[in-house]
Amino acid sequence: MDGDSSTTDVSQLGMTLDYMASSHYVLHPQKDDGEENMNDHEDSRTKENYKEQDIYLPIAIVARIMKNSVPQTGKIAKDAKECVQECVSEFITFITSEASERYHYEKRKTINREDILFAMSTLGFNIYVDPFKLYLQKFREAMKGEKWMLGVAVGESLGEDLTDDGFANPLRAGIITAAEHFLNVCYNTRHQKIPFIIYFYL
Amino acid sequence: MRHNSKHQASEAKKAISLPISRVRLIMKSSPDVSSINQDALFLTTKATELFVQHLALTSFNNRSQTEANTLNYSDLAKTAEESDTFHFLTDILPKKILAQDYLKSLEQMQDEDSDF
Repeated sequence: MDGDSSTTDVSQLGMTLDYMASSHYVLHPQKDDGEENMNDHEDSRTKENYKEQDIYLPIAIVARIMKNSVPQTGKIAKDAKECVQECVSEFITFITSEASERYHYEKRKTINREDILFAMSTLGFNIYVDPFKLYLQKFREAMKGEKWMLGVAVGESLGEDLTDDGFANPLRAGIITAAEHFLNVCYNTRHQKIPFIIYFYL
Repeated sequence: MRHNSKHQASEAKKAISLPISRVRLIMKSSPDVSSINQDALFLTTKATELFVQHLALTSFNNRSQTEANTLNYSDLAKTAEESDTFHFLTDILPKKILAQDYLKSLEQMQDEDSDF
């Protein structure tokens, strides 16, 4: 139905050509009623055979996160949602390949949490990392000597000092709140000894 | 610190919106990736959520048509080009042109060729 297929022979397709990118066509169906048919979207993207670049996160969830990020009166165009969906996969791949360099270099077999944190710092996503570090430090101090789920080794590697001026930024404040919540949940889950993976599967 | 498990379950569900299994699938599609630690996976998933928020908000604030109050593809492309952090997205966010403009310029190129 939509966006992924690219062909240079427009006449074979019964669709209106509204826009195209510089190197390929981006197609829109004839009638764009503006409402997303989320089931179609997700089905067409999950049921096809995966090529590496075609795996995406569900657009409904991505769209919801976007909607909650912009001011309440703001709207998001349909092609923007699809686009961010692709950007997300690109981001994950980007982080993963950077992290995999590190764990290969250290001759380990598993990508661990440090690799991801290191990749995020290296690639310029520090604002995601610093809140995690802060709360890891806090919890680590509170839990001195006690082993907990997120790994003692991580706390030891995060010795950098954090500056306070970063917290003035509202986006950062929002991320900190999310990070705190996230770590609170991890901590609490650990004490109940329930495998946390169950909670987080959607 | 005691919380009943029901409260924790609902708290846990709120902590992450994106499906971890799908994130794992994307990560594993990278070459040379054999296995991924649970914490690393969790952290990547959470970071991805933050990335969506960050990209959406930055692009929205940066949008070219401020009166329209809508986030468009072109706003995202603009942000990717202008921002260091999001610059890695420029390959997948090419600037779009209208088909008719492209066909027009194609015609012009063909006319020029036929002059030779």
